[in-house]
Amino acid sequence: MPTTAKKGEILEIRIIVQHDMESGFRHTETGQRVPRDIIRDFLCVYNGVEVFRVELHPAMGANPLIIFSTVATESGTLEFKWSGDNGYASSTSSKLTVT
Amino acid sequence: MSVVVSVVTVSRAASPGAERQSSYALMSADTKAMQDDPLLNPATFAVLDGQALWQESAGKKNRSCATCHGDASTSMKGVAASFPKFNSAKGSLVNLEGQINDCRVTHQEAAPLAFESKPLLSLSTFVATQSKGMPITVERNAANATSLDAGQHLFNQRMGQLNLSCAQCHAERAGQKLAGNPIPQAHPTAYPIYRLEWQAVGSLQRRLRNCLTGVRAEPYALGSKELLELELFLAWRARGMLLETPGVRP
Repeated sequence: MPTTAKKGEILEIRIIVQHDMESGFRHTETGQRVPRDIIRDFLCVYNGVEVFRVELHPAMGANPLIIFSTVATESGTLEFKWSGDNGYASSTSSKLTVT
Repeated sequence: MSVVVSVVTVSRAASPGAERQSSYALMSADTKAMQDDPLLNPATFAVLDGQALWQESAGKKNRSCATCHGDASTSMKGVAASFPKFNSAKGSLVNLEGQINDCRVTHQEAAPLAFESKPLLSLSTFVATQSKGMPITVERNAANATSLDAGQHLFNQRMGQLNLSCAQCHAERAGQKLAGNPIPQAHPTAYPIYRLEWQAVGSLQRRLRNCLTGVRAEPYALGSKELLELELFLAWRARGMLLETPGVRP
């Protein structure tokens, strides 16, 4: 995403996370089902306000890339959080200066 | 009476009368865009992991790759484009992954990394990325000549239950369709690749094993002499073509 924007401008945010996204429908060569282990939720919080949320399901492939947009309202921080099966949690953030 | 026998080696072009072409050209616009933008390319994770591993000390000697090789962006420039090589001291062919393991065992006194393991693929992707945009420089020489001939022989040999050779699809029928998909000329210009079908990064040897399974042949083992000979032949056949690593393929 850009680091600066004009007030009211639409920002395109692209974010990719490394995760195998095991669907839970695959089997090993000996016939055992490989258990589901996926990211369940992604959310974007802009200065404490949730602006975007995704619920992920087993159909999403590995290393999911999410492209979305939001409106630049004020300077601050956008936090990106993922949570999923087996206690998976990850986050990152990006600073934005709005003029 | 003296008899003179001359032996002529015939080297086949990639495709009779056609220009050599990377399989990049056959991909959809979306897939090309995924490869071209490092921020969209899932193989970037492997490059970043490799960059971190490059700095990590390992083995009894407690050295990292950086200890001997310093900054990879200078020391590794062009290196990946020159593999596989025939290592005369070892008496065998070595590909990039093999060389990384040789360094680990000899100079770091660390255990070799398993073929297709995440750390090995990350390191080879990181090293190969330093040759991005550079031409493949594998040439025939006295040391690799026997292996190169063996690789060429394998490429032209019918194999498996379907009794097909690599050449029949990738030289004679490149550009035609197989199960709806265009057949590439099979130049290893982008390896290691992030293959969408694998949802992961994989090496050329992994792909070659898939091809062999595809013609219903018993695939040669990872690291085997046969796969190395094929890698050498394919690299030689693609000499002069530019490396695109890390590639994305369908």
